[in-house]
Amino acid sequence: MINIYIILTTSTNLLVGMTNLLSLGQAALYGIGAYLAVLAMMVLNLSFIPTLIFVIIGTSLLSLLIAYPSLRLRGDYFVLATLGFQLIVFTILYNWVDVTRGPYGIPGIPSPILFGDIVITGIIPYLILSSILAVGVVSLFFKLIYSPFGRALKAVRDDELSAEAIGRNVTALKIWAFVVSSGFIGISGLLYASYVSYIDPTSFNLDEAIFILSAVIIGGTGNIKGPIIGAVFVVILPELLRFVGLPDSVAANLRQIIYGLMIIILMRLRPQGLAGEYALR
Amino acid sequence: MLLQFIINGIIVGSIYSLVSLGFAIVYNTTRIFHIAYAVLYMFCPYMILTFFSNLGIPIFIAFIIAILITVVLSLLMEIIIYRPLAKKNSSLNIIMISSIGIMIIVINTIALFYGNETKILNPDISETFSFGDIIITYIQLAQFVISTIILLIFLAFLKFSKFGIRTRAMRDDDILCSVFGMDIYKMRIILFTLSAIFAAIGGGLVAYDVGMDPYVGMPMLLNAVVALIIGGIGRFEAPIIGGFIIGILQSLSVWAISARWQDAVTFTLLILFLLFRPQGLLGEKKRAV
Repeated sequence: MINIYIILTTSTNLLVGMTNLLSLGQAALYGIGAYLAVLAMMVLNLSFIPTLIFVIIGTSLLSLLIAYPSLRLRGDYFVLATLGFQLIVFTILYNWVDVTRGPYGIPGIPSPILFGDIVITGIIPYLILSSILAVGVVSLFFKLIYSPFGRALKAVRDDELSAEAIGRNVTALKIWAFVVSSGFIGISGLLYASYVSYIDPTSFNLDEAIFILSAVIIGGTGNIKGPIIGAVFVVILPELLRFVGLPDSVAANLRQIIYGLMIIILMRLRPQGLAGEYALR
Repeated sequence: MLLQFIINGIIVGSIYSLVSLGFAIVYNTTRIFHIAYAVLYMFCPYMILTFFSNLGIPIFIAFIIAILITVVLSLLMEIIIYRPLAKKNSSLNIIMISSIGIMIIVINTIALFYGNETKILNPDISETFSFGDIIITYIQLAQFVISTIILLIFLAFLKFSKFGIRTRAMRDDDILCSVFGMDIYKMRIILFTLSAIFAAIGGGLVAYDVGMDPYVGMPMLLNAVVALIIGGIGRFEAPIIGGFIIGILQSLSVWAISARWQDAVTFTLLILFLLFRPQGLLGEKKRAV
Protein backbone atom coordinates (compact mmCIF):
# COMPACT_ATOMS: atom_id res chain seq x y z
CA MET A 1 0.00 0.00 0.00
CA ILE A 2 2.83 2.40 0.82
CA ASN A 3 4.18 2.05 -2.69
CA ILE A 4 0.78 2.75 -4.21
CA TYR A 5 0.43 5.87 -2.12
CA ILE A 6 3.95 7.00 -2.89
CA ILE A 7 3.06 6.96 -6.57
CA LEU A 8 -0.19 8.79 -5.84
CA THR A 9 1.33 11.49 -3.70
CA THR A 10 4.39 11.98 -5.88
CA SER A 11 2.25 12.56 -8.92
CA THR A 12 -0.14 14.82 -7.02
CA ASN A 13 2.88 16.78 -5.88
CA LEU A 14 3.63 17.52 -9.51
CA LEU A 15 0.40 19.51 -9.50
CA VAL A 16 0.28 20.92 -5.99
CA GLY A 17 3.93 21.44 -5.24
CA MET A 18 5.32 22.18 -8.66
CA THR A 19 2.50 24.06 -10.31
CA ASN A 20 0.41 25.34 -7.40
CA LEU A 21 -2.74 23.63 -8.62
CA LEU A 22 -4.91 22.12 -5.92
CA SER A 23 -6.83 19.28 -7.48
CA LEU A 24 -9.67 17.48 -5.77
CA GLY A 25 -10.06 15.15 -8.73
CA GLN A 26 -7.14 12.84 -8.04
CA ALA A 27 -9.28 9.95 -6.82
CA ALA A 28 -11.26 10.06 -10.05
CA LEU A 29 -8.08 9.54 -12.05
CA TYR A 30 -6.99 6.82 -9.64
CA GLY A 31 -10.34 5.14 -10.27
CA ILE A 32 -10.09 5.58 -14.02
CA GLY A 33 -6.66 3.94 -13.86
CA ALA A 34 -8.01 1.01 -11.87
CA TYR A 35 -11.02 0.45 -14.13
CA LEU A 36 -8.89 0.77 -17.27
CA ALA A 37 -6.51 -1.81 -15.82
CA VAL A 38 -9.40 -4.18 -15.29
CA LEU A 39 -10.58 -3.56 -18.82
CA ALA A 40 -7.14 -4.35 -20.19
CA MET A 41 -6.54 -7.44 -18.08
CA MET A 42 -9.96 -9.06 -18.00
CA VAL A 43 -11.54 -8.07 -21.31
CA LEU A 44 -8.57 -7.61 -23.60
CA ASN A 45 -6.46 -10.28 -21.81
CA LEU A 46 -3.27 -8.29 -21.97
CA SER A 47 -0.27 -9.20 -19.85
CA PHE A 48 1.28 -6.77 -17.39
CA ILE A 49 3.57 -4.60 -19.50
CA PRO A 50 1.00 -3.87 -22.24
CA THR A 51 -1.60 -3.24 -19.51
CA LEU A 52 0.74 -0.77 -17.88
CA ILE A 53 1.25 1.09 -21.14
CA PHE A 54 -2.47 0.96 -21.93
CA VAL A 55 -3.37 2.36 -18.50
CA ILE A 56 -0.82 5.16 -18.63
CA ILE A 57 -1.90 6.28 -22.08
CA GLY A 58 -5.60 5.81 -21.36
CA THR A 59 -5.56 7.74 -18.10
CA SER A 60 -3.52 10.54 -19.64
CA LEU A 61 -5.90 10.88 -22.56
CA LEU A 62 -8.98 10.89 -20.33
CA SER A 63 -7.33 13.39 -18.01
CA LEU A 64 -6.95 15.69 -21.00
CA LEU A 65 -10.74 15.88 -21.03
CA ILE A 66 -10.64 17.13 -17.46
CA ALA A 67 -7.53 19.27 -17.84
CA TYR A 68 -8.51 21.26 -20.86
CA PRO A 69 -11.70 22.87 -19.52
CA SER A 70 -10.64 23.20 -15.89
CA LEU A 71 -7.20 24.67 -16.48
CA ARG A 72 -8.68 27.66 -18.19
CA LEU A 73 -9.89 28.60 -14.72
CA ARG A 74 -7.91 29.83 -11.76
CA GLY A 75 -7.81 29.49 -8.01
CA ASP A 76 -11.08 28.48 -6.38
CA TYR A 77 -12.71 27.88 -9.71
CA PHE A 78 -10.10 25.32 -10.69
CA VAL A 79 -10.58 23.46 -7.42
CA LEU A 80 -14.32 23.49 -8.01
CA ALA A 81 -14.02 22.23 -11.55
CA THR A 82 -11.86 19.30 -10.47
CA LEU A 83 -14.34 18.65 -7.68
CA GLY A 84 -17.12 18.60 -10.26
CA PHE A 85 -15.26 16.10 -12.41
CA GLN A 86 -14.51 13.97 -9.39
CA LEU A 87 -18.22 13.69 -8.66
CA ILE A 88 -19.18 13.11 -12.29
CA VAL A 89 -16.62 10.32 -12.68
CA PHE A 90 -17.79 8.76 -9.44
CA THR A 91 -21.42 8.92 -10.54
CA ILE A 92 -20.54 7.30 -13.85
CA LEU A 93 -18.54 4.51 -12.20
CA TYR A 94 -21.34 3.98 -9.72
CA ASN A 95 -24.34 4.10 -12.02
CA TRP A 96 -23.21 2.77 -15.37
CA VAL A 97 -23.93 -0.73 -14.17
CA ASP A 98 -23.68 -2.41 -17.58
CA VAL A 99 -20.01 -1.57 -17.87
CA THR A 100 -18.65 -1.10 -14.37
CA ARG A 101 -21.06 -3.28 -12.42
CA GLY A 102 -21.70 -0.17 -10.35
CA PRO A 103 -21.93 -0.64 -6.60
CA TYR A 104 -21.38 -4.41 -6.87
CA GLY A 105 -17.78 -3.85 -7.89
CA ILE A 106 -15.63 -6.14 -9.99
CA PRO A 107 -14.26 -9.20 -8.19
CA GLY A 108 -11.63 -11.69 -9.24
CA ILE A 109 -9.13 -9.41 -10.89
CA PRO A 110 -6.19 -11.60 -11.97
CA SER A 111 -2.70 -11.16 -10.65
CA PRO A 112 -0.26 -9.43 -12.96
CA ILE A 113 1.52 -11.70 -15.44
CA LEU A 114 5.04 -10.69 -16.43
CA PHE A 115 6.88 -11.81 -19.58
CA GLY A 116 4.40 -14.44 -20.59
CA ASP A 117 4.66 -16.92 -17.74
CA ILE A 118 5.76 -15.34 -14.46
CA VAL A 119 2.67 -14.77 -12.34
CA ILE A 120 3.04 -12.28 -9.52
CA THR A 121 1.15 -13.63 -6.54
CA GLY A 122 1.67 -13.33 -2.83
CA ILE A 123 2.97 -10.46 -0.80
CA ILE A 124 6.70 -10.60 -1.44
CA PRO A 125 6.75 -10.70 -5.27
CA TYR A 126 4.07 -8.06 -5.25
CA LEU A 127 6.12 -5.90 -2.94
CA ILE A 128 9.05 -6.16 -5.31
CA LEU A 129 6.93 -5.29 -8.34
CA SER A 130 5.31 -2.28 -6.72
CA SER A 131 8.62 -1.09 -5.32
CA ILE A 132 10.16 -1.20 -8.77
CA LEU A 133 7.30 0.87 -10.14
CA ALA A 134 7.37 3.32 -7.23
CA VAL A 135 11.11 3.79 -7.55
CA GLY A 136 10.63 4.21 -11.28
CA VAL A 137 8.02 6.92 -10.81
CA VAL A 138 10.00 8.73 -8.14
CA SER A 139 13.19 8.72 -10.21
CA LEU A 140 11.28 9.93 -13.26
CA PHE A 141 9.90 12.68 -11.10
CA PHE A 142 13.42 13.47 -9.93
CA LYS A 143 14.56 13.84 -13.53
CA LEU A 144 11.48 15.90 -14.29
CA ILE A 145 12.15 18.44 -11.55
CA TYR A 146 15.57 19.27 -12.94
CA SER A 147 14.57 19.17 -16.57
CA PRO A 148 13.72 22.35 -18.48
CA PHE A 149 10.06 21.30 -18.18
CA GLY A 150 10.28 21.07 -14.39
CA ARG A 151 11.97 24.45 -14.14
CA ALA A 152 9.36 25.99 -16.37
CA LEU A 153 6.64 24.58 -14.09
CA LYS A 154 8.33 26.05 -11.04
CA ALA A 155 8.48 29.37 -12.82
CA VAL A 156 4.73 29.17 -13.45
CA ARG A 157 4.17 28.32 -9.82
CA ASP A 158 6.26 31.13 -8.45
CA ASP A 159 5.13 33.85 -10.79
CA GLU A 160 2.66 33.09 -13.49
CA LEU A 161 2.77 36.52 -15.03
CA SER A 162 6.55 36.63 -15.38
CA ALA A 163 6.63 33.14 -16.81
CA GLU A 164 4.16 34.23 -19.40
CA ALA A 165 6.10 37.41 -20.05
CA ILE A 166 9.25 35.51 -20.96
CA GLY A 167 7.35 33.52 -23.51
CA ARG A 168 6.15 30.39 -21.72
CA ASN A 169 2.73 29.10 -22.65
CA VAL A 170 1.40 28.83 -19.12
CA THR A 171 -1.83 27.00 -19.93
CA ALA A 172 -0.03 24.43 -22.07
CA LEU A 173 2.50 23.82 -19.30
CA LYS A 174 -0.25 23.30 -16.75
CA ILE A 175 -2.09 20.93 -19.03
CA TRP A 176 1.11 18.94 -19.54
CA ALA A 177 1.70 18.79 -15.81
CA PHE A 178 -1.84 17.57 -15.28
CA VAL A 179 -1.60 14.92 -18.00
CA VAL A 180 1.78 13.59 -16.89
CA SER A 181 0.67 13.41 -13.28
CA SER A 182 -2.50 11.61 -14.34
CA GLY A 183 -0.50 9.02 -16.24
CA PHE A 184 1.42 8.26 -13.06
CA ILE A 185 -1.77 8.08 -11.05
CA GLY A 186 -3.05 5.54 -13.56
CA ILE A 187 -0.16 3.27 -12.54
CA SER A 188 -1.25 3.35 -8.93
CA GLY A 189 -4.80 2.53 -10.01
CA LEU A 190 -3.48 -0.51 -11.83
CA LEU A 191 -1.42 -1.61 -8.83
CA TYR A 192 -4.39 -1.18 -6.50
CA ALA A 193 -6.74 -3.17 -8.72
CA SER A 194 -4.39 -6.11 -9.09
CA TYR A 195 -3.31 -6.04 -5.45
CA VAL A 196 -6.76 -5.99 -3.87
CA SER A 197 -8.22 -8.05 -6.77
CA TYR A 198 -11.58 -6.38 -6.23
CA ILE A 199 -12.62 -2.82 -7.01
CA ASP A 200 -15.77 -0.85 -6.47
CA PRO A 201 -16.46 2.86 -6.95
CA THR A 202 -16.43 3.74 -3.25
CA SER A 203 -12.65 3.33 -3.19
CA PHE A 204 -12.45 6.31 -5.52
CA ASN A 205 -14.86 8.82 -4.00
CA LEU A 206 -14.41 12.37 -2.80
CA ASP A 207 -13.13 11.24 0.60
CA GLU A 208 -10.32 9.43 -1.14
CA ALA A 209 -9.53 12.58 -3.14
CA ILE A 210 -9.36 14.63 0.05
CA PHE A 211 -7.27 11.89 1.63
CA ILE A 212 -4.71 11.94 -1.20
CA LEU A 213 -4.51 15.71 -1.08
CA SER A 214 -4.03 15.73 2.69
CA ALA A 215 -1.31 13.07 2.44
CA VAL A 216 0.58 15.36 0.09
CA ILE A 217 0.02 18.37 2.30
CA ILE A 218 1.02 16.59 5.50
CA GLY A 219 4.19 15.24 3.92
CA GLY A 220 5.18 18.40 2.19
CA THR A 221 5.19 19.78 -1.31
CA GLY A 222 7.68 20.85 -3.91
CA ASN A 223 10.40 18.23 -3.50
CA ILE A 224 10.88 14.49 -3.59
CA LYS A 225 10.97 13.42 0.03
CA GLY A 226 7.89 15.34 1.15
CA PRO A 227 5.23 13.28 -0.64
CA ILE A 228 7.03 10.05 0.22
CA ILE A 229 6.99 10.92 3.90
CA GLY A 230 3.33 11.88 3.59
CA ALA A 231 2.45 8.55 1.97
CA VAL A 232 4.38 6.54 4.56
CA PHE A 233 2.74 8.49 7.34
CA VAL A 234 -0.86 8.10 6.21
CA VAL A 235 -0.43 4.38 5.57
CA ILE A 236 1.44 3.61 8.78
CA LEU A 237 -0.68 5.67 11.17
CA PRO A 238 -3.65 3.25 11.09
CA GLU A 239 -1.31 0.36 11.81
CA LEU A 240 0.16 2.28 14.74
CA LEU A 241 -3.31 2.96 16.12
CA ARG A 242 -4.15 -0.72 15.83
CA PHE A 243 -0.94 -1.43 17.72
CA VAL A 244 -2.10 0.83 20.54
CA GLY A 245 -5.11 -1.46 20.77
CA LEU A 246 -8.09 0.73 19.98
CA PRO A 247 -11.20 -0.98 18.65
CA ASP A 248 -11.50 -0.69 14.86
CA SER A 249 -14.61 1.47 14.83
CA VAL A 250 -13.07 4.11 17.07
CA ALA A 251 -9.68 3.91 15.37
CA ALA A 252 -11.06 4.77 11.94
CA ASN A 253 -12.65 7.99 13.15
CA LEU A 254 -9.76 8.83 15.43
CA ARG A 255 -7.33 8.47 12.56
CA GLN A 256 -9.32 10.96 10.53
CA ILE A 257 -9.40 13.36 13.45
CA ILE A 258 -5.61 13.15 13.70
CA TYR A 259 -5.27 13.94 9.98
CA GLY A 260 -7.61 16.88 10.36
CA LEU A 261 -5.70 18.26 13.32
CA MET A 262 -2.39 17.81 11.55
CA ILE A 263 -3.63 19.65 8.48
CA ILE A 264 -4.83 22.60 10.54
CA ILE A 265 -1.69 22.81 12.65
CA LEU A 266 0.59 22.47 9.65
CA MET A 267 -1.30 25.11 7.69
CA ARG A 268 -0.94 27.49 10.59
CA LEU A 269 2.69 26.88 11.48
CA ARG A 270 4.37 25.20 8.58
CA PRO A 271 2.48 25.54 5.31
CA GLN A 272 5.16 23.63 3.42
CA GLY A 273 4.35 20.41 5.27
CA LEU A 274 6.61 18.14 7.32
CA ALA A 275 9.42 17.90 4.80
CA GLY A 276 8.47 20.11 1.91
CA GLU A 277 10.28 23.06 0.52
CA TYR A 278 7.49 24.97 -1.12
CA ALA A 279 4.89 26.71 1.02
CA LEU A 280 1.42 26.63 -0.48
CA ARG A 281 0.05 29.90 -1.61
CA MET B 1 -47.06 14.29 -12.64
CA LEU B 2 -44.79 16.88 -14.19
CA LEU B 3 -46.31 19.59 -12.01
CA GLN B 4 -45.75 17.48 -8.90
CA PHE B 5 -42.06 17.18 -9.79
CA ILE B 6 -41.78 20.90 -10.39
CA ILE B 7 -43.40 21.66 -7.02
CA ASN B 8 -41.03 19.22 -5.33
CA GLY B 9 -38.18 20.93 -7.10
CA ILE B 10 -39.27 24.32 -5.84
CA ILE B 11 -39.46 23.03 -2.27
CA VAL B 12 -36.02 21.45 -2.46
CA GLY B 13 -34.82 24.57 -4.21
CA SER B 14 -35.93 26.77 -1.34
CA ILE B 15 -33.71 24.78 1.01
CA TYR B 16 -30.81 24.93 -1.44
CA SER B 17 -31.30 28.68 -1.67
CA LEU B 18 -31.22 29.05 2.08
CA VAL B 19 -28.09 26.96 2.55
CA SER B 20 -26.42 28.51 -0.46
CA LEU B 21 -27.14 32.02 0.80
CA GLY B 22 -25.51 31.13 4.11
CA PHE B 23 -22.41 30.04 2.22
CA ALA B 24 -22.51 33.18 0.09
CA ILE B 25 -22.66 35.45 3.15
CA VAL B 26 -19.25 34.21 4.17
CA TYR B 27 -17.77 33.65 0.74
CA ASN B 28 -18.78 36.94 -0.84
CA THR B 29 -17.45 39.05 1.99
CA THR B 30 -14.39 37.22 3.32
CA ARG B 31 -13.46 35.04 0.32
CA ILE B 32 -13.14 32.08 2.67
CA PHE B 33 -14.06 28.93 0.81
CA HIS B 34 -15.84 27.70 3.88
CA ILE B 35 -15.92 23.93 3.32
CA ALA B 36 -16.49 23.41 7.03
CA TYR B 37 -19.85 25.09 6.45
CA ALA B 38 -20.99 21.60 5.47
CA VAL B 39 -20.59 20.37 9.02
CA LEU B 40 -22.75 23.17 10.44
CA TYR B 41 -25.56 21.86 8.28
CA MET B 42 -24.99 18.36 9.66
CA PHE B 43 -24.27 19.44 13.24
CA CYS B 44 -27.61 21.10 13.98
CA PRO B 45 -29.78 17.99 13.46
CA TYR B 46 -27.54 16.03 15.83
CA MET B 47 -28.04 18.68 18.48
CA ILE B 48 -31.79 18.51 17.90
CA LEU B 49 -31.51 14.77 18.31
CA THR B 50 -29.71 15.21 21.63
CA PHE B 51 -32.18 17.66 23.09
CA PHE B 52 -35.38 16.41 21.52
CA SER B 53 -35.09 12.64 21.40
CA ASN B 54 -32.66 12.04 24.25
CA LEU B 55 -33.57 14.75 26.74
CA GLY B 56 -37.22 15.09 25.80
CA ILE B 57 -37.33 18.85 25.31
CA PRO B 58 -40.13 19.97 22.97
CA ILE B 59 -39.06 20.04 19.34
CA PHE B 60 -39.46 23.76 18.86
CA ILE B 61 -37.26 24.71 21.83
CA ALA B 62 -34.79 21.96 20.97
CA PHE B 63 -34.51 23.43 17.48
CA ILE B 64 -33.68 26.85 18.85
CA ILE B 65 -31.10 25.51 21.30
CA ALA B 66 -29.55 23.50 18.47
CA ILE B 67 -29.31 26.58 16.28
CA LEU B 68 -27.58 28.48 19.10
CA ILE B 69 -25.04 25.69 19.60
CA THR B 70 -24.39 25.58 15.86
CA VAL B 71 -23.73 29.31 15.93
CA VAL B 72 -21.23 28.80 18.74
CA LEU B 73 -19.45 26.14 16.69
CA SER B 74 -19.31 28.46 13.72
CA LEU B 75 -17.87 31.28 15.82
CA LEU B 76 -15.25 28.93 17.26
CA MET B 77 -14.16 28.11 13.73
CA GLU B 78 -13.83 31.80 12.92
CA ILE B 79 -12.02 32.74 16.11
CA ILE B 80 -9.70 29.77 16.48
CA ILE B 81 -8.94 28.97 12.86
CA TYR B 82 -9.84 31.62 10.33
CA ARG B 83 -9.04 34.82 12.19
CA PRO B 84 -5.39 33.99 12.96
CA LEU B 85 -4.92 32.90 9.36
CA ALA B 86 -6.47 36.13 8.12
CA LYS B 87 -4.21 38.15 10.40
CA LYS B 88 -1.20 36.30 9.00
CA ASN B 89 -2.41 37.19 5.51
CA SER B 90 -2.49 33.54 4.52
CA SER B 91 -3.51 32.65 1.01
CA LEU B 92 -6.99 31.46 0.18
CA ASN B 93 -5.71 27.96 -0.58
CA ILE B 94 -4.28 27.62 2.92
CA ILE B 95 -7.54 28.79 4.44
CA MET B 96 -9.47 26.34 2.30
CA ILE B 97 -7.29 23.41 3.30
CA SER B 98 -7.61 24.35 6.97
CA SER B 99 -11.33 24.36 6.42
CA ILE B 100 -11.14 20.82 5.06
CA GLY B 101 -9.23 19.96 8.23
CA ILE B 102 -12.01 21.34 10.42
CA MET B 103 -14.59 19.45 8.43
CA ILE B 104 -12.75 16.14 8.86
CA ILE B 105 -12.41 16.70 12.61
CA VAL B 106 -16.06 17.61 13.25
CA ILE B 107 -17.51 14.87 11.04
CA ASN B 108 -15.45 12.21 12.75
CA THR B 109 -16.12 13.51 16.24
CA ILE B 110 -19.84 13.32 15.54
CA ALA B 111 -19.37 9.84 14.11
CA LEU B 112 -17.48 8.81 17.23
CA PHE B 113 -20.29 9.90 19.53
CA TYR B 114 -23.38 9.15 17.48
CA GLY B 115 -22.21 6.40 15.13
CA ASN B 116 -21.97 6.31 11.36
CA GLU B 117 -25.47 5.08 10.65
CA THR B 118 -28.48 7.11 9.62
CA LYS B 119 -30.52 8.58 12.46
CA ILE B 120 -34.06 9.87 12.20
CA LEU B 121 -35.66 12.69 14.12
CA ASN B 122 -39.28 12.08 13.29
CA PRO B 123 -40.34 8.43 13.44
CA ASP B 124 -43.87 9.06 12.12
CA ILE B 125 -44.81 9.26 8.50
CA SER B 126 -45.62 12.89 7.96
CA GLU B 127 -49.15 13.87 7.13
CA THR B 128 -49.96 15.11 3.70
CA PHE B 129 -52.56 17.22 2.07
CA SER B 130 -53.44 17.21 -1.57
CA PHE B 131 -54.12 20.07 -3.84
CA GLY B 132 -55.75 18.69 -6.92
CA ASP B 133 -53.27 16.09 -8.13
CA ILE B 134 -50.41 17.44 -6.11
CA ILE B 135 -49.43 15.90 -2.81
CA ILE B 136 -47.37 17.84 -0.30
CA THR B 137 -46.36 16.83 3.19
CA TYR B 138 -46.66 19.32 6.01
CA ILE B 139 -42.96 19.26 6.66
CA GLN B 140 -42.31 20.11 3.02
CA LEU B 141 -44.69 23.01 3.34
CA ALA B 142 -42.86 24.13 6.47
CA GLN B 143 -39.55 23.88 4.63
CA PHE B 144 -40.80 26.08 1.85
CA VAL B 145 -42.54 28.65 4.00
CA ILE B 146 -39.78 29.03 6.60
CA SER B 147 -36.98 29.30 4.09
CA THR B 148 -38.84 31.73 1.87
CA ILE B 149 -39.66 34.00 4.79
CA ILE B 150 -36.05 33.98 5.99
CA LEU B 151 -34.77 34.69 2.50
CA LEU B 152 -37.11 37.64 2.06
CA ILE B 153 -36.32 39.10 5.48
CA PHE B 154 -32.61 38.80 4.83
CA LEU B 155 -32.80 40.45 1.43
CA ALA B 156 -34.82 43.36 2.82
CA PHE B 157 -32.40 43.69 5.70
CA LEU B 158 -29.46 43.69 3.34
CA LYS B 159 -30.97 46.38 1.20
CA PHE B 160 -32.22 48.82 3.81
CA SER B 161 -30.33 48.43 7.08
CA LYS B 162 -26.98 49.89 8.02
CA PHE B 163 -25.65 46.39 8.52
CA GLY B 164 -26.68 45.52 4.98
CA ILE B 165 -24.80 48.47 3.58
CA ARG B 166 -21.72 47.45 5.54
CA THR B 167 -21.98 43.88 4.29
CA ARG B 168 -22.16 45.05 0.72
CA ALA B 169 -19.25 47.40 1.30
CA MET B 170 -17.20 44.54 2.68
CA ARG B 171 -18.04 42.45 -0.34
CA ASP B 172 -16.60 45.14 -2.58
CA ASP B 173 -13.38 45.77 -0.68
CA ASP B 174 -12.68 44.69 2.86
CA ILE B 175 -9.31 46.43 3.19
CA LEU B 176 -10.88 49.72 2.22
CA CYS B 177 -13.60 49.11 4.80
CA SER B 178 -11.04 48.73 7.55
CA VAL B 179 -9.30 51.87 6.33
CA PHE B 180 -12.56 53.70 6.88
CA GLY B 181 -12.64 52.49 10.44
CA MET B 182 -15.03 49.58 10.22
CA ASP B 183 -14.25 46.79 12.64
CA ILE B 184 -13.79 43.97 10.15
CA TYR B 185 -13.52 41.24 12.78
CA LYS B 186 -16.72 42.31 14.46
CA MET B 187 -18.44 42.21 11.09
CA ARG B 188 -17.04 38.77 10.46
CA ILE B 189 -18.51 37.56 13.75
CA ILE B 190 -21.95 38.75 12.66
CA LEU B 191 -21.54 37.18 9.23
CA PHE B 192 -20.45 33.83 10.61
CA THR B 193 -23.37 33.90 13.03
CA LEU B 194 -25.84 34.55 10.24
CA SER B 195 -24.42 31.89 7.98
CA ALA B 196 -24.51 29.34 10.80
CA ILE B 197 -28.17 30.15 11.44
CA PHE B 198 -28.99 29.59 7.78
CA ALA B 199 -27.13 26.29 7.66
CA ALA B 200 -28.68 25.14 10.93
CA ILE B 201 -32.24 25.91 9.87
CA GLY B 202 -31.74 24.22 6.50
CA GLY B 203 -30.13 21.18 8.10
CA GLY B 204 -32.78 20.90 10.80
CA LEU B 205 -35.69 21.14 8.39
CA VAL B 206 -34.30 18.55 6.00
CA ALA B 207 -33.26 16.16 8.75
CA TYR B 208 -36.71 16.32 10.31
CA ASP B 209 -38.04 15.08 7.00
CA VAL B 210 -35.51 12.45 5.92
CA GLY B 211 -33.06 11.90 8.81
CA MET B 212 -29.30 12.36 8.76
CA ASP B 213 -25.90 10.71 8.99
CA PRO B 214 -22.53 12.38 9.66
CA TYR B 215 -21.86 12.75 5.94
CA VAL B 216 -24.97 14.64 4.76
CA GLY B 217 -23.20 18.00 4.82
CA MET B 218 -20.93 17.54 1.84
CA PRO B 219 -23.51 16.80 -0.88
CA MET B 220 -25.58 19.72 0.39
CA LEU B 221 -22.56 22.02 0.38
CA LEU B 222 -21.80 21.01 -3.19
CA ASN B 223 -25.31 21.82 -4.31
CA ALA B 224 -25.09 25.13 -2.47
CA VAL B 225 -21.80 26.02 -4.14
CA VAL B 226 -23.13 25.10 -7.57
CA ALA B 227 -26.19 27.26 -6.88
CA LEU B 228 -23.90 30.13 -5.94
CA ILE B 229 -21.83 29.81 -9.08
CA ILE B 230 -24.80 29.44 -11.40
CA GLY B 231 -26.39 32.49 -9.84
CA GLY B 232 -23.21 34.50 -9.85
CA ILE B 233 -20.61 35.09 -7.17
CA GLY B 234 -20.72 38.47 -5.48
CA ARG B 235 -24.47 39.08 -5.49
CA PHE B 236 -26.66 38.05 -2.62
CA GLU B 237 -29.77 37.46 -4.73
CA ALA B 238 -27.81 35.11 -6.96
CA PRO B 239 -27.62 31.98 -4.79
CA ILE B 240 -31.38 32.13 -4.32
CA ILE B 241 -32.06 32.02 -8.04
CA GLY B 242 -29.35 29.38 -8.47
CA GLY B 243 -30.85 27.30 -5.66
CA PHE B 244 -34.29 27.22 -7.23
CA ILE B 245 -32.86 26.42 -10.66
CA ILE B 246 -30.91 23.45 -9.30
CA GLY B 247 -33.82 22.22 -7.23
CA ILE B 248 -36.18 22.21 -10.18
CA LEU B 249 -33.61 20.80 -12.57
CA GLN B 250 -32.74 17.92 -10.24
CA SER B 251 -36.36 17.14 -9.74
CA LEU B 252 -36.92 17.15 -13.49
CA SER B 253 -33.95 14.88 -14.03
CA VAL B 254 -35.54 12.41 -11.62
CA TRP B 255 -38.65 12.60 -13.75
CA ALA B 256 -36.91 12.38 -17.11
CA ILE B 257 -33.95 10.07 -16.49
CA SER B 258 -33.56 8.58 -13.04
CA ALA B 259 -32.68 9.68 -9.52
CA ARG B 260 -29.24 8.15 -9.83
CA TRP B 261 -28.05 10.71 -12.35
CA GLN B 262 -29.10 13.80 -10.34
CA ASP B 263 -25.58 14.65 -9.28
CA ALA B 264 -24.13 14.15 -12.72
CA VAL B 265 -26.72 16.59 -14.12
CA THR B 266 -25.88 19.17 -11.45
CA PHE B 267 -22.16 19.00 -12.00
CA THR B 268 -22.40 18.97 -15.75
CA LEU B 269 -24.34 22.20 -15.36
CA LEU B 270 -21.57 23.52 -13.08
CA ILE B 271 -18.87 22.74 -15.61
CA LEU B 272 -20.87 24.24 -18.47
CA PHE B 273 -21.24 27.41 -16.45
CA LEU B 274 -17.58 27.50 -15.46
CA LEU B 275 -16.64 27.17 -19.11
CA PHE B 276 -19.05 29.50 -20.80
CA ARG B 277 -20.28 31.90 -18.17
CA PRO B 278 -18.01 31.80 -15.11
CA GLN B 279 -19.53 34.99 -13.76
CA GLY B 280 -22.90 33.27 -13.39
CA LEU B 281 -26.33 34.42 -14.48
CA LEU B 282 -26.31 37.71 -12.58
CA GLY B 283 -22.60 38.38 -12.28
CA GLU B 284 -20.75 41.10 -14.08
CA LYS B 285 -17.99 40.17 -16.41
CA LYS B 286 -14.57 40.46 -14.88
CA ARG B 287 -11.31 40.02 -16.66
CA ALA B 288 -9.36 37.97 -14.16
CA VAL B 289 -11.39 34.95 -13.19
